Amino acid sequence: METYWAEAIKYLAAGICMGFGAIGAGIGEGYTAGQTVLGISRQPSVSGQLIKTMLIGQAITETSGIFALVIAVLLISPGVGAGDNIVVSMAAFLGAGISVGIAGFGVGIGGGFPAARACEGIARCPSAAGQVNVTMLIGQAAASTPVVFGLVVAFILLYTHFSGSWEKAAALLGAGISVGFGGFGSGIGGGLPGGTACAATARRMDLRSQIIGTMLIGQAVTQTSAIFALVVSFLLMFTTGDGSSIVKIAGFLGAGISMGFGAIGPGLGTGIPAASACTCIRINERTGSVTTRVMLLGQAVAQSTAIYSLIIALLMIFVV
Amino acid sequence: MEGIGHVPQMQLWGQPGEALGTVNYVTLIMTWVVMGIIVAASVLIVRRLKEVPGRVQIVVELFARMFDGLVKEALDRDDRAYLPLIGTLFLFLILSNWIGVIPGLEEPTRDINTPLSLGVMGFFIWHLSGVRAKGLWGYLKGFFQPIFFMMPLNVVGEVAKVISISFRLFGNIMGGAIIIIVVSNLLFYVVVPILLKGFFGIFVGSVQAFVFTMLYLTYTSVAVRSD
Repeated sequence: METYWAEAIKYLAAGICMGFGAIGAGIGEGYTAGQTVLGISRQPSVSGQLIKTMLIGQAITETSGIFALVIAVLLISPGVGAGDNIVVSMAAFLGAGISVGIAGFGVGIGGGFPAARACEGIARCPSAAGQVNVTMLIGQAAASTPVVFGLVVAFILLYTHFSGSWEKAAALLGAGISVGFGGFGSGIGGGLPGGTACAATARRMDLRSQIIGTMLIGQAVTQTSAIFALVVSFLLMFTTGDGSSIVKIAGFLGAGISMGFGAIGPGLGTGIPAASACTCIRINERTGSVTTRVMLLGQAVAQSTAIYSLIIALLMIFVV
Repeated sequence: MEGIGHVPQMQLWGQPGEALGTVNYVTLIMTWVVMGIIVAASVLIVRRLKEVPGRVQIVVELFARMFDGLVKEALDRDDRAYLPLIGTLFLFLILSNWIGVIPGLEEPTRDINTPLSLGVMGFFIWHLSGVRAKGLWGYLKGFFQPIFFMMPLNVVGEVAKVISISFRLFGNIMGGAIIIIVVSNLLFYVVVPILLKGFFGIFVGSVQAFVFTMLYLTYTSVAVRSD
């Protein structure tokens, strides 16, 4: 393999990273702007406040796009060099691009929900603006966890000198796929409770702390599948792979695919009960503790498929 | 930017390979610094408690009352058995996450060993309080809910709780630290790192400390409450 192959893969990875990373932020910000326009038609007198909230919300939503931009710029800059083994370096570049690009895709969409519902809520109840803004910021910050995980893996992939052969290359690519796709579902799912929490805060300012607490617990459980994906990609990155056995190669890639794709559904699905729980507290605050426990139980069952994926991925890393 | 995610280690009593063990000495020192600050502040504040509270005392009372309310609501009990644990955990975590803002100091939570040991500690706390509250039989019956064949899934789920709670904190703090290092390098340390430290250190650090504490409390309440 010639060195220019590594250069070529860097450009491909930068394209994947920025391309996919831009989709989510675009959708999320557009949704926010749409709700703001509707809100202004309902309350023209608070258009200034609405535009301010919209811009703050969009700026935070764009974080995932900015992360993708940082990785893409690093990939096409000459600072990141290929290591001793070209194949391993190529896999690391591709893995870095996929991890931030796809995770950012999901988080961008997810970040749009709190921002949009905050604008809608402020239009409905302008006096709650300050509190809704706080809920929105906390919700968006907590919802962006999956793309931060993607970024961690991408930086480790870019700046660690991995040694090994084809097996290592498969493991690194698998690590990128795992954390990238694993963050996609959790990114969207973590945004859903953020959205309903903002809407709920606007209507019931007095229940704000209870709503934020439920939102944070719901979001945290939503991200469990992204955390499993992070664990699998750490294991894949720091496993040894000196040989080029086709069984091992397929096993490492399969582990990444199993965990990455397996986490999409649970990540997205567990967001739905969390979103409902926030609305539930707004409707009847006395149901708070039972709501939280039913939410946790439902999420735990919905998450079982992510646990199956984790077990299969671990088996393929350590047993195959 | 080499060595991202590297934790400084030291061999104990011997050469590499045959040493008794390794110590992550930076993590250890920073953990003791955080504990020292909390203990010293507590001793100083408690010694000066007054009938008419001063500024510091008001903040401390607000904090204690807030956590007292949270714990009472979650556990639905009138005693304060779990308040010291939950309150101290939050204080330790928030100070650990904030301390990285000071240049030269590192967050103990950036090392996976800190969150993981807190998670393992929680595992024992949740299960032993479950046994204490429901009795051994009632506790074991919980694993066969809602249907008996859910047992293996419930057992795996209990272990998964420890992994997810600890890696969530670790990933966020470590991620913030890496972003700060890389962006500071790219921008030659002009202004932006301060804003990033404010966002990732103070804001995300507080949110994640609260999330960790609330999950600890929620898992305790799931284990303790029978309804």
